[in-house]
Amino acid sequence: MSVPTEHLVILAGILFSIGVAGFCLRRNLIVMLMSVELMLNAANLTFLAGSRAHSAGGEPMLEGAVFAIFVIVVAAVEASVGLALVIALYRRQQTVSVDSLNQLGDA
Amino acid sequence: MANLLFYLMGLGAVIGSLLVVTSKNPITSVLSLLGTFFCLATIYLLAGFQFLAAAQILVYGGAIMVLFLFVVMLLNLGHPEEGSGLEFMNKRRMPFAFAASAMLIVLTFAGVLGQGSAPGAVELAHMATIGDLAGLMFGSFLLPFEAASILLMGAAVAVIVLAKRERTQAVER
Repeated sequence: MSVPTEHLVILAGILFSIGVAGFCLRRNLIVMLMSVELMLNAANLTFLAGSRAHSAGGEPMLEGAVFAIFVIVVAAVEASVGLALVIALYRRQQTVSVDSLNQLGDA
Repeated sequence: MANLLFYLMGLGAVIGSLLVVTSKNPITSVLSLLGTFFCLATIYLLAGFQFLAAAQILVYGGAIMVLFLFVVMLLNLGHPEEGSGLEFMNKRRMPFAFAASAMLIVLTFAGVLGQGSAPGAVELAHMATIGDLAGLMFGSFLLPFEAASILLMGAAVAVIVLAKRERTQAVER
């Protein structure tokens, strides 16, 4: 594939901003977590684009790929802890909407 | 040919992620996120990162998305959310959301177009195999690797504690 690095970075930027919009807009906690996953994936794509751009010619430079693996590990941890929190919340409140979580606010 | 596939997959990823954000039914969101992850895995493969593509499908497509799907079905949320129109979105935060994402896209374009010497098209000499990655992972990245394993174990313990029913309820049964 001989796509310029710029296009990879632009694709990552578009995906990241869709994730940001989803995180801000949705009320459903599960969909908000999925938007975070989308943002982490966009960051991964940027890491890989950088790794690829710096290994021009010769040997592939893989530091970015190693970082992407660490990002995947952290994403798995984040998803499992986040979903456990969602289940604990649902058990207590029978809802997954963030609008109903206002016990600590003045609303 | 490979370039065309990249643009197709990029389009698929963007459409899939838009569906994640805009669909009313959480099941549709989960499944379109799965499609987005598969498109991204294809892009990783095209870019020459073989193991990353496999890990993407195994960890994201296999583990994380099944977890999401399981939680949506366990909590019985697999039906469209109530309210008409855009009721399932937070209208007060809409201007902020659009401003933030527009700013990010502008920032990306400015950063990409503004740099002086663009790397341009790059082709890896050969695919980055798992052997290349392992050499780096168990060499200069050994300490972060161990730290990640400790993080995973801590998260496993934390999830068990969080999901456990409280003791008083357990005794009553």
